[in-house]
Amino acid sequence: MIVQNLKKHFPIRRGLLKRTVGYVRAIDDVSFTVLAGETLALVGESGCGKTTTGRTIIRLIEPTSGEITFRDDDGNFSSITKLEGEQLKAFRRQAQIIFQDPYSSLDPRMSVADIVGEPLQIHETANGGERSDRVVQLLKSVGLQGDHLRRYPHSFSGGQRQRIGIARALALNPKLIVCDEPVSALDVSIQAQVINLLEDLQEQYGLAYLFISHDLSVVHQISDRVAVMYVGKMVELAKTETLFNHPLHPYTEALLSALPMPNPRRHRNRIVLMGEVANPANPPSGCFFHPRCAYAKDICKHDQPAMRELEPGHFVSCHFAESLNLRGIDPTQPA
Amino acid sequence: MTLNPVATSQNSAAHGTADVIVQVKDLVVRFDALQGKVPAVNGVSFDVKAGKTLGIVGESGCGKSVTAQSILRLLPSPPAKLVGGEILFRRRTGEIIDLAKLNARSPEMRSIRGNEIAMIFQEPMTSMTPAYTVGDHITEAITLHQNVNQREAKKRALDILNRVGMPQPARTIDSYPHQLSGGMLQRAMIAIALSCRPTLLIADEPTTALDVTTGAQILDLMESLQAELGMSIIHISHNLGIIAEVADEVAVMYLGRIVEQAPVDELFNSPKHPYTQGLLRSLPQVGERRRLEPIRGVVPEPNAIPPGCAFGPRCPKFMPGKCDAAIPPLIQVGPQHSTRCYLYEE
Repeated sequence: MIVQNLKKHFPIRRGLLKRTVGYVRAIDDVSFTVLAGETLALVGESGCGKTTTGRTIIRLIEPTSGEITFRDDDGNFSSITKLEGEQLKAFRRQAQIIFQDPYSSLDPRMSVADIVGEPLQIHETANGGERSDRVVQLLKSVGLQGDHLRRYPHSFSGGQRQRIGIARALALNPKLIVCDEPVSALDVSIQAQVINLLEDLQEQYGLAYLFISHDLSVVHQISDRVAVMYVGKMVELAKTETLFNHPLHPYTEALLSALPMPNPRRHRNRIVLMGEVANPANPPSGCFFHPRCAYAKDICKHDQPAMRELEPGHFVSCHFAESLNLRGIDPTQPA
Repeated sequence: MTLNPVATSQNSAAHGTADVIVQVKDLVVRFDALQGKVPAVNGVSFDVKAGKTLGIVGESGCGKSVTAQSILRLLPSPPAKLVGGEILFRRRTGEIIDLAKLNARSPEMRSIRGNEIAMIFQEPMTSMTPAYTVGDHITEAITLHQNVNQREAKKRALDILNRVGMPQPARTIDSYPHQLSGGMLQRAMIAIALSCRPTLLIADEPTTALDVTTGAQILDLMESLQAELGMSIIHISHNLGIIAEVADEVAVMYLGRIVEQAPVDELFNSPKHPYTQGLLRSLPQVGERRRLEPIRGVVPEPNAIPPGCAFGPRCPKFMPGKCDAAIPPLIQVGPQHSTRCYLYEE
């Protein structure tokens, strides 16, 4: 999948006539590609537009502008931005989503068989006995038992519910799954089970994941490449190890230094950012990050930095990316 | 109810050293639920030393929040019932008082709660009354516990807002909670908690609802305020990374019991209990990418706690006939390191 210059601006309407008084720039000019079988992580803090991006690329939210192309079964790239009706439905077979909250994303009045079987029914890929066989097979592949079929979501724990959500997403053999914070509502020991499951399924079915998360240690575990977002813009994109060891954007550096690590010997010198995340309805001038950036100079207040490829596969949008010597994660750092 | 002099002196002896601010002994809290009596906290004991931070870590339902709220006697009764144990708290006067024996609504308890022991909660958004300003919240705490008039209270409130690093305190003091961001609200919460200079601060997941960079600001703030005011902190979190950073001593809880307790370095470098070891192994760690090793199974429902060691059914080193026969005692494995596991029996 290739995403180019994606924008989503939500109008702010006020007053009796619902006049549009401004726009929340939830996603502002974001471009990236997701390769077959890889995991691309989108990280950032609340309100940075990562969830909106995830939902827009599978057309759960209509983009304001930009182009999304997807490779179909024959290997041809075609735009999915304008798809409608049957064609959109066909695309939905290829791209699915797992939601953050396993409590609100499953209909409490549907049994597990109905929840996991619903995509099969809607897309008429399997009926009758064939459908229930497929549902049992899906449940087994996510580590649930076939006899869970007739039970309802309330009788499952958070981790089991997330497995049901994963089984539902897998039902149509998609090529891409958008995972929107799939483990952040789970306890540590259960989180590890679900991460392992996602890794196994990826290997087994050759899935590509767009993995949305605010938890950098989870992202480090699961992703091949990482994109960092700040107030609707992508500020850095690189291979996971590169991003963690040699970040090029000051925001990435601050995020990494704020990451709590279960190692009391690690020298603590957090970079504590001043102030708050900018308001996407009224972002600062120039580089959106400049009011909180320790390295900001005059140019940052006026000119918005463009996304540049500094090293092969390492993109960053900072005026001073070459000259800054930023600190990555060094787990061996002595006390 | 005040303890009689004899009891007080005995308790001082039990305290051992004078630097212990609160000592919890064999605390048992039960909830009366439809399914019967559910033991949420089952024989928990720990000390918090003056000026130090005790971290309590565990997964949802392990009883860490219930433990914290019982110290302040905040649990609604019914359904919660403090069935047994002692909570020996050293007051500013030096007197030692058993909070477990006090009536939750008694004047003594009220004069301690919010004054000598304060608490900050996980969700700053829901912990404040939306109809009152931030300033109202702080001055309420001040006028309740200190003999000052409204004007002086407001002056002190402004001072404390300054101290917690609230941006534009003169304006924020008249703001309503919905006008502030999560990070600013958590600063306001800390301001309320610190307004009477408590000797013990209980922080229940204070950064969980916040963004990473905002959470880092709050942890930094708590650390510098602790250094400045010398208070003790009980920091409750499910996040082992945060506990590693803030705590001096750590207690790991599982299903209502402390399964391991040690100084922070020892706990993370040589964890003894299979549950602690499992938690650390299931944690993704930056710097080393390896297959995660999750703990098998799920946390059982609190009304279906397995017999013997509650972790038994999920434990890789489970010994049939032993672990499921009786609850393992706390075994000393180091000078300040103890664990509830038969593997370390002499």
